[in-house]
Amino acid sequence: MPTEQLANDLASIVGERFVLRRPTELLVYNSDGLPGYRRQPRLAVFPGTREQAIEVVRTLARDGAPFVPRGAGTGLSGGALADDVVLLGMHRMKRVLNVDADNRRATVEPGVVNLHLNRLAGPLGLLYAPDPSSEAACTIGGNIAENAGGPHCLKYGVTLNHILAITAILPDGEIVKLGSDTGEREGYDLLGAFIGSEGCFGLALDVTVKLTKKPPTVRTMLADFTSVDDAAKVTSSIIASGIVPAALEFMDSGTIRVVESSIYAAGYPADAAAVLLIELDGLTAGVEADVAVVRDLCISGGAREVKIASNDAERLRLWQGRKKAFGAMGRMSPHLVVQDAVIPRTKLAEVLATITRIAAKHNITVCNVFHAGDGNLHPNIPYNADDLAESERVHQAMQEIMGACVDAGGSITGEHGVGLDKLNYIELIFSPDSLQAMCNMRSAFDPDRRANPGKVVPVHSCQEWKSTPAFGRETSGAVA
Amino acid sequence: MTAAIQDAVREAGELRAPLRIVAGESWLDAGRPVKANRVLSVGDLSGIVDYVPSDLTITVRAGTRLSEIERATRENGQWFPVNPFGTSEATIGASVATASSGPLSHGFGAIRDLVLGFEAVTGDAKVIRGGGRVVKNVAGFDLVRLMTGSWGTLGVITELTLRLYGLPYNRRTVAIEAPTDARKLAERLRALRDAPVIPFALELLNATAARKVGLPPRQIILVELGGNNAAVDSQIDALKNFGTLIDGSAEMWDALRKPEAGEQIVFRVSGLPALLPERWERTSRVALSSENATMHASIGRGTVRCILTSDPGVAVLDQLSAPDANDTLILERAPATWWTKISPSAVDNRVSQNLKRGFDPLGILNPGILGPVN
Repeated sequence: MPTEQLANDLASIVGERFVLRRPTELLVYNSDGLPGYRRQPRLAVFPGTREQAIEVVRTLARDGAPFVPRGAGTGLSGGALADDVVLLGMHRMKRVLNVDADNRRATVEPGVVNLHLNRLAGPLGLLYAPDPSSEAACTIGGNIAENAGGPHCLKYGVTLNHILAITAILPDGEIVKLGSDTGEREGYDLLGAFIGSEGCFGLALDVTVKLTKKPPTVRTMLADFTSVDDAAKVTSSIIASGIVPAALEFMDSGTIRVVESSIYAAGYPADAAAVLLIELDGLTAGVEADVAVVRDLCISGGAREVKIASNDAERLRLWQGRKKAFGAMGRMSPHLVVQDAVIPRTKLAEVLATITRIAAKHNITVCNVFHAGDGNLHPNIPYNADDLAESERVHQAMQEIMGACVDAGGSITGEHGVGLDKLNYIELIFSPDSLQAMCNMRSAFDPDRRANPGKVVPVHSCQEWKSTPAFGRETSGAVA
Repeated sequence: MTAAIQDAVREAGELRAPLRIVAGESWLDAGRPVKANRVLSVGDLSGIVDYVPSDLTITVRAGTRLSEIERATRENGQWFPVNPFGTSEATIGASVATASSGPLSHGFGAIRDLVLGFEAVTGDAKVIRGGGRVVKNVAGFDLVRLMTGSWGTLGVITELTLRLYGLPYNRRTVAIEAPTDARKLAERLRALRDAPVIPFALELLNATAARKVGLPPRQIILVELGGNNAAVDSQIDALKNFGTLIDGSAEMWDALRKPEAGEQIVFRVSGLPALLPERWERTSRVALSSENATMHASIGRGTVRCILTSDPGVAVLDQLSAPDANDTLILERAPATWWTKISPSAVDNRVSQNLKRGFDPLGILNPGILGPVN
């Protein structure tokens, strides 16, 4: 169907205002949170209700039009970039449908902003645990697409562990219930398969999330070190002690300096080589005992000082520096790559040293601010994407950093997803047969592969999907 | 060793000979409707492949028994906090394949929350891997969640990487008497949920179950607490507000998990946690159909598990349904005649059928175990 006609059809569903077709209007949707990439959508459509979303997906299906779902566009792997295909924005669907404090769950539309959900749950003594740094902007739908994490996922788990059910619309327009918002469900874990599928399996229409009882006591501490190596080793020793902190975050000197010179200054010691932001929560008596153990581990591991927040204001200030570190880095350069990789927690010191060597070799700056407790690294590189030579150096360094993480037994992404950015790296960790299995998963949800085409698994890894059942019927069927 | 499994699957494919995948063989008599003429066992595929205690991760072969994982990790002050119903002689492969969890899922999540990676042989004899050996990973589509709970129908799991925890300094089990009146029980459970306790496990036991674990035969709540001494002591104090505490032991949980001699029918009913008292009452009516039926429930998850030692006929389950309850019934063990009536198919939707077709194109892996595939 010609684009103009498709746009008219979509406008008849959502209203003219919510279909963008002119290049100038689409400009803002040419990029997402990943710098250095621009893709021009064919057009953009923004349904405001469940009915409209269903009708939009079905119209696209009738036309055979590929599309890219998008939440708030805060993703850092280019997953929401639409290259001459329809961009389907879900952020207008932001109703909270139900908060059930008795059963500790809430049902929301996919466009609800993560922090907004927490503002509703908070007064009930509950919280929605996954807390990506972009929590003030990112949507639950986007969190599901990326299986988003955050600092507190160390103790509480990632998005996957907090979603009970999803009503989804598959790319062909069929509506399916994944998981169960009441009890257990037998059969394949389609809910688990859908979470983290980066918009390739369909769109969530509503989501039932688990809410967690707020811990009675939260203690936040800051340990500062004169050596990166010591901070890394203390991280490993805290994990090895068996205590599970609610969060265990690492910031290096580059990050500290940037934060402290910004409006987000958190009182981190400016001369430290690294700080660890450690939060313990739970029952009051138990937490105090663990605080003492962790403090001892920090001091005996070489910490100069361990500062413990004495009230909520101090606690929030310590966190502000961490949560706004990426924003603070915006002052350093026009662009910032927020990289994401995971390594075994015993390899922290070793890999951080390697990253420093790689940065020096390519004459780039790396600021490390990451979820140390999970081994989830975020080497961030401030740079100017319009400077082609610098971009090339950044690209080269990135590739070497990924290689180092994979060599250490790690993964190419812990919470940002593969998207477009990491397509070239996924073959470093999965064999052709494993990638083919992932293609089979995708084809089970979207046989035509129209949803978020070209993302997550390289196209050349996927053989042709065979839609005709090939297996013998005589071997299947229940016993009477 | 994976190569041997791969060869066996390839041969079965060439002969179009469906396979029944087994490991510890403890639940083979559960009555599941599998149509297969060959058995493929991963039981001999056992042992630890890699264990780095400081990373709190372990990689083991699928036929490794839970008891072996327990032994190896305990030496390093760690544990894999999963205790599925059955015994610790069950294998990790079967536990993951069947998504089996036990009382500890209250505090640590279900087994799907603790599996980090796997290796498996698919129905077309390909060796695939999903996830990895790190604790956080979103690289590619989530094959780990897909394989967990797929009952061997998408692939034969050969290896698993698991997330471990540090053993708590202190662990204590205590019991509190529970009111039998539904309304009073509801009040008690609500108060418990709001109390300053974060238990590892929290189960409601009927009188038979209480006797089975060695307690006086009365309806009780069995609680497992863990953590440092201060955390455990403060929770004991909080629980004292609910009545006299009866001292328990870790062995009580093993006794609760252990299959009973002569158990015929085991099923679970789950639904909204706040509606557990009503669900418990409805299940109690079914339990009356069998002498000394054992019942216990995960209070946090709202799931009731019921064990009958005689077969009262499948119609007895009609009493479980309530107009607005929207509960789910899952059979664990039952005569063959029950399955078709209760669980016609857990995979009767299009996506599941497509998955089966993609991973097992010849339909040779445990055909029918989750119901018919068309």
